[in-house]
Amino acid sequence: MLQCIFLLSDSGEVMLEKQLTGHRVDRSICAWFWEQAISQGDSFKLQPVIASPTHYLFQVVREGITYLACTQVEMPPLMAIEFLCRVADVLSDYLGGLNEDVIKDNFIIVYELLDEMIDNGFPLTTEPNILREMIAQPNIVSKVLSVVTGNSSNVSETRPGATASCVPWRTTDPKYANNEVYVDLVEEMDATINRDGVLVKCEIYGEVQVNSHLSGLPDLTLSFANTSILDDVRFHPCVRFRPWESNQILSFVPPDGQFKLMSYRVKKLKSTPIYVKPQLTSGGGTCRVDVLVGIRNDPGKTIDSITVQFQLPHCILSADMTSNHGTVNILANKTCLWSIGRIPKDKAPSMSGTLVLETGLERLHVFPTFQVAFRVMGVALSGLQIDKLDLKNLPNRPYKGFRALTRAGEFEVRS
Amino acid sequence: MAPPAQSQRSPSPSQPSGKGEVSDLKSQLRQLAGSRAPGIDDSKRELFKKVISYMTVGIDVSSLFGEMVMCSATSDIVLKKMCYLYVGNYAKVNPDLALLTINFLQRDCKDEDPMIRGLALRSLCSLRVANLVEYLVGPLGSGLKDNNNYVRTVAVMGVLKLYHISASTCVDADFPAMLKHSMLNDSDAQVVANCLSALQEIWSSEASSSEEASREREALLSKPVVYYFLNRIKEFSEWAQCLVLELVGKYVPSETSEIFDIMNLLEDRLQHANGAVVLATIKVFLQLTLSMTDVHQQVYERIKAPLLTLVSSGSPEQSYAVLSHLHLLVMRAPFIFSSDYKHFYCQYNEPSYVKKLKLEMLTAVANESNTYEIVTELCEYAANVDIPIARESIRAVGKIALQQYDVNAIVDRLLQFLEMEKDYVTAEALVLVKDLLRKYPQWSQDCIAVVGNISSKNIQEPKAKAALIWMLGEYSQDMHDAPYILESLIENWEDEHSAEVRLHLLTAVMKCFFKRPPETQKALGAALAAGLADFHQDVHDRALFYYRLLQYNVSVAQRVVDPPKQAVSVFADTQSSEIKDRIFDEFNSLSVVYQKPSYMFTDKEHRGPFEFSDELGHLSIGAESTGHASQSSLAIDDLLGLGLPVAPAPAPSPPLLKLNSKAVLDPGTFQQKWRQLPISLSQEYSVSPRGVAALTAPQALLRHMQGHSIHCIASGGQSPNYKFFFFAQKAEESSTFLVECIINTSSAKAQIKIKADDQSASEAFSTLFQSALSEFGLP
Repeated sequence: MLQCIFLLSDSGEVMLEKQLTGHRVDRSICAWFWEQAISQGDSFKLQPVIASPTHYLFQVVREGITYLACTQVEMPPLMAIEFLCRVADVLSDYLGGLNEDVIKDNFIIVYELLDEMIDNGFPLTTEPNILREMIAQPNIVSKVLSVVTGNSSNVSETRPGATASCVPWRTTDPKYANNEVYVDLVEEMDATINRDGVLVKCEIYGEVQVNSHLSGLPDLTLSFANTSILDDVRFHPCVRFRPWESNQILSFVPPDGQFKLMSYRVKKLKSTPIYVKPQLTSGGGTCRVDVLVGIRNDPGKTIDSITVQFQLPHCILSADMTSNHGTVNILANKTCLWSIGRIPKDKAPSMSGTLVLETGLERLHVFPTFQVAFRVMGVALSGLQIDKLDLKNLPNRPYKGFRALTRAGEFEVRS
Repeated sequence: MAPPAQSQRSPSPSQPSGKGEVSDLKSQLRQLAGSRAPGIDDSKRELFKKVISYMTVGIDVSSLFGEMVMCSATSDIVLKKMCYLYVGNYAKVNPDLALLTINFLQRDCKDEDPMIRGLALRSLCSLRVANLVEYLVGPLGSGLKDNNNYVRTVAVMGVLKLYHISASTCVDADFPAMLKHSMLNDSDAQVVANCLSALQEIWSSEASSSEEASREREALLSKPVVYYFLNRIKEFSEWAQCLVLELVGKYVPSETSEIFDIMNLLEDRLQHANGAVVLATIKVFLQLTLSMTDVHQQVYERIKAPLLTLVSSGSPEQSYAVLSHLHLLVMRAPFIFSSDYKHFYCQYNEPSYVKKLKLEMLTAVANESNTYEIVTELCEYAANVDIPIARESIRAVGKIALQQYDVNAIVDRLLQFLEMEKDYVTAEALVLVKDLLRKYPQWSQDCIAVVGNISSKNIQEPKAKAALIWMLGEYSQDMHDAPYILESLIENWEDEHSAEVRLHLLTAVMKCFFKRPPETQKALGAALAAGLADFHQDVHDRALFYYRLLQYNVSVAQRVVDPPKQAVSVFADTQSSEIKDRIFDEFNSLSVVYQKPSYMFTDKEHRGPFEFSDELGHLSIGAESTGHASQSSLAIDDLLGLGLPVAPAPAPSPPLLKLNSKAVLDPGTFQQKWRQLPISLSQEYSVSPRGVAALTAPQALLRHMQGHSIHCIASGGQSPNYKFFFFAQKAEESSTFLVECIINTSSAKAQIKIKADDQSASEAFSTLFQSALSEFGLP
């Protein structure tokens, strides 16, 4: 069980401390942690589980804020990590984005939230809707009001008996003048193309995101045209399991507002929408770089926000890169970033240039990996299609909206 | 290590230094305390906020305790919450002042708003002041019966807090029984879940002293209770589900059909959005089917997809935790994952500890069908910017080669590494080629041709140098200039800092001498002379040993130093399978992340003060040295020819059994083991009359046995029959002995049943146990 949670700013300052059990965890643990973080650099920042001389620490870093939890006993690590992630999500949801100042301005709310989210080291509820019923959200309107009237109350007027609703993820009986529901398919394509230009791995991780503003207790059914392509699925707790198992239909009573209904994976895709072909030839202390980008498999919609970037190896003294389309920048951390945007109709974008190697080096031995980003609006590249969305238990016909979006996730081209 | 003192924080202008501001606040609070003016709550709120922010920054504001309490009479819930927070933080250090708060907290516990009732009760229980516990019993009792579920949820946790402050008060007030009733009857799932977690904790720590508690703890794992929870599982919050699943994981079903029922019921939990639930479910599945080999394998197939999705969908932090578990499963059953090898391909942006896990998994899942692709992928990593990972991947290629699949293509790749002109790549590849040759001597022609072209001057790393020297000695008849290379190396004897290299050099020059005496004689003489003068004991001894061997008889020397070798079939594994099994039993725990069973890191005795921080910082380096230590020592044995049938090693005398005096075993594991293991010994001893007399206080026996490193986990019974459960662990390894001991004082007999991880040692343990028992009661 967790014994204590700390929130640290990006300079290592303790912004918040929440003791959870009788075994008080001394703040000096944060000092230890920060010393390690400084001395070991970035690799340390990424380790989610750390053993200190006195405690085991879990850390999650979001927007420069480190969420640190301590324990001295054996426990499921994923539970602690998952919980910290939820804390970060809930805080960011509540406070409308996160940074050091927001936390410092609203630390009372953070304390209140933590109080309800975890008791005696064991997580209670992290469901935003339930929390919202217990602790009022400081929204812009109330902020403006408080400035005007000088009244800064953030107590929700209704203080319900904790979870009064029979569906735990849903607020009791919300009412909307305009009933609307939006379903978005958001996909990320992860691909690896090896040195020989072969697509060694290509898969899509997708989410069905729903934004629901529906009155009462609506019952929704969402079906897809081709569920057979899905490799593995995970559901929001509101999804009923049986209809999915028998007919691959998502039947659910939605939470109010934005939520992730389902996530899925589609593996073994055969092709990517664009190609990136890097070519490196080195000799005589320099290395010539040529990168070609073009459309391989037209998705039927515009591909935009294309960028290609790679890390210049340490042994490079200088780089001179130009492109026939878009802009090329060498950033401070020795990253070469080529922003292409859209691919023009009349020519294939290319970037070329020369890297000058350290004196003494004839040829380049370390080959950079090119990371590619792009975005395609209006299409889910996995091929998943929504068939229909039925709504029951609603007084009047709601507005239904559907969208799709695919972007590059870990899209790598090795050279 | 004592945690370092708080680091010096530079006082920034926005942070008050303390004193002046605190006394300012004090007077302001005083002014507000009695006032009932409208809008007073807002000014209070501002002040409270300041106080709390000081507290958060670390300034001691405990001197305001009195004023804060005075101001706490309010109906504003946020003010109340701030006040509770403050009180909870400082009550423990100011027990006298804490008494002041009891009054208003108790009043709030009767408030009409359930939220305030709950919050007040929570704060009341969080004061943690021992002499105030009497004030807790009343509010807790009514809290448990409150008609609002929020208050009941808080009250249940309050009982647990009370138990930790004063166990006797909690038990005397009969709270555990009340919790049990709520657990089985309350309509609210969160109340039920909290009861479960509280009772588990209370009964586990009570169990050692009360038989009733240990019975109750057992009852939690009984069929009706477990089924009760299973049937309600969907009502629970995701976190409570984790708790229930943990309980189910400990349950041992009596029939096979039960196992399938449970798995059917829980199957949809594998698709839960919360990774912790998914992992807890997987643990249940794995535990339930442990004894059914084919179903166990189907379970692997079933959990594969959810695990792989978890890895790719979550935040990097979650991925790592899941990946560690996946790693464990892959290592246990690589063949099941062999078609999913692409999931273990490393991504450019991943941190190196993730890449390292993935490399190990890639190595494990390689088989006939995917070796080519995996090796191709691994070879690309050799040009990686991250040098430790580049090294790891070359090693991985070598390991795959040693797993004997399609060596043909791999040898070519390894030889390409040798030509890559990067010193660390060459170094790693040389070590691998050496291992490969020891296993597949038939490849010597191809390898030697390439190795011969490598200049020994370019090799700096001792391991690589030793490998090269070994090859020079071993294949000196095929390598044209082997004697001359060795000679030049011996000339630089003084500059060679690594003893390992010098040892290899001695052996290699000996071997070379047997094959090409005229060319090597001079070098041999120089090497022996240098070796005899060496300050390193091992080098000196080996030189002396060779010298005397040669003096005695050259052909005997050849038989000893350079005998015909058999190819090595399997290289020693670094982690024992026992430890791996143990980690597997602790699936879904920190052990998996650390790749060590929990006793190795939760028990202070097993770790030095700095071990962990160091180890984590240099993850890859640590593994590097341990991974090779066993191999290189093997290599040396081989070089000396000690592993050959010349002189079979004397059979090791049965070692005296030594027990670990700090053994740890949690009751859950004990129970599980007790059910799983067969009885390996069942005996009856007689107990000395003195022992019987001393047994009037059973605690004395526990202390006595502890002195012999045999620990009691549960005891009970009344005269004349006493029952004890003991456990002990071997000092060197994690092998455990479990003992059930029933002593009848009227017949002066002790019946014992021993169960052991290592059956062969149970006889020795029994002797030890008996002698310990017979000493009991002696002055």
